[in-house]
Amino acid sequence: MTVAFQIPELVTERLRLRLPRASDLAAHTAFRTSERSKSVGGPFDAGESFGHLAGIIGQWQLRGFGRWMVADRDTDEPLGIVGILHPVEWPGPELAWTVYENAEGRGIAYEAAVAARRFAYQKLGIERLISLVEGSNTRSESLARRLGCSQDGTFSYQDNLDIPVWLHPTTEAD
Amino acid sequence: MTLALSDIPQLETERLILRGPRLDDYPVMEAFYASDRARFVGGPGNTFQAWRGFAHVAGMWALKGVGSFIITRRGEDRALGMTGPWVPEGWPENEIGWAIWDASLEGTGIAYEAANAARKFAFGTLGWTTAVSYIDAGNERSAALAVRLGAALDPDAKAPAFDDVDIHVYRHPKPEAFA
Repeated sequence: MTVAFQIPELVTERLRLRLPRASDLAAHTAFRTSERSKSVGGPFDAGESFGHLAGIIGQWQLRGFGRWMVADRDTDEPLGIVGILHPVEWPGPELAWTVYENAEGRGIAYEAAVAARRFAYQKLGIERLISLVEGSNTRSESLARRLGCSQDGTFSYQDNLDIPVWLHPTTEAD
Repeated sequence: MTLALSDIPQLETERLILRGPRLDDYPVMEAFYASDRARFVGGPGNTFQAWRGFAHVAGMWALKGVGSFIITRRGEDRALGMTGPWVPEGWPENEIGWAIWDASLEGTGIAYEAANAARKFAFGTLGWTTAVSYIDAGNERSAALAVRLGAALDPDAKAPAFDDVDIHVYRHPKPEAFA
């Protein structure tokens, strides 16, 4: 028996944004267990990495929207996770991005984030979209600026970290 | 607009319907996870942990093709707990798991009825040839349910490794026992 699970796919010039699957687990675990995951609270262990990838899909099941696996359009190689993250305690739907090491410095996160943002505005009808970017994460902050975001307060959770909130422009809403 | 579609199967018993997880089940799970009753399943925990745990439950179906069902009474559709195949990373064997979120269910036999249906699904539809349940050594209610289900302690079986938690492995009877 297999359970069919379908989410909309987005295709860009170089990328396919699709449902994460078990074959992506090695790449996702490599990221979550590495020092590169520090900006998202890591490093974590393999068990947490599985639960996290399952949780990414689970949010689609629960909310009807979520984050995609960003894959190379030609080779299907997993490159990172981008999409709309909305845990229950979040201040609103967040456009969130993570790229694995093999995708860094190639504009992958930007290309995927633009596609995901357009989808959020046009298909989901989301009107206010934020990104939460740790102040120490300068790469991610640069991407927020490149996406036209402006800082709009902070959000505190877990250990009361004041995480900068970046508000997205709504230029693609129409 | 519903964008994500999955065909998680539904199981029916005399009093219950077991179905896939939904967003409106979450508050019941969160209340359970915040309470002392969650101490045998990694809790008590805050909203951050509860939401991620619940999303993990929902997403396992897509990653593994199996997962847990939400337990509801026929005609009510309100989440009472969960049971079903539980096969996360790091688990030595396929598990039949259960968690009763609504404390008022204790003593009703609902947990037995639900777990029994989940096991039947695992042995029948999924074709599992054996199954275990991993139970915190201090969780007497859960151990009693395992015994009522015909499972027995398997001292030779490997348990998932957790710091500071002693896990007992209960092995269910083979599928042939139910034929």
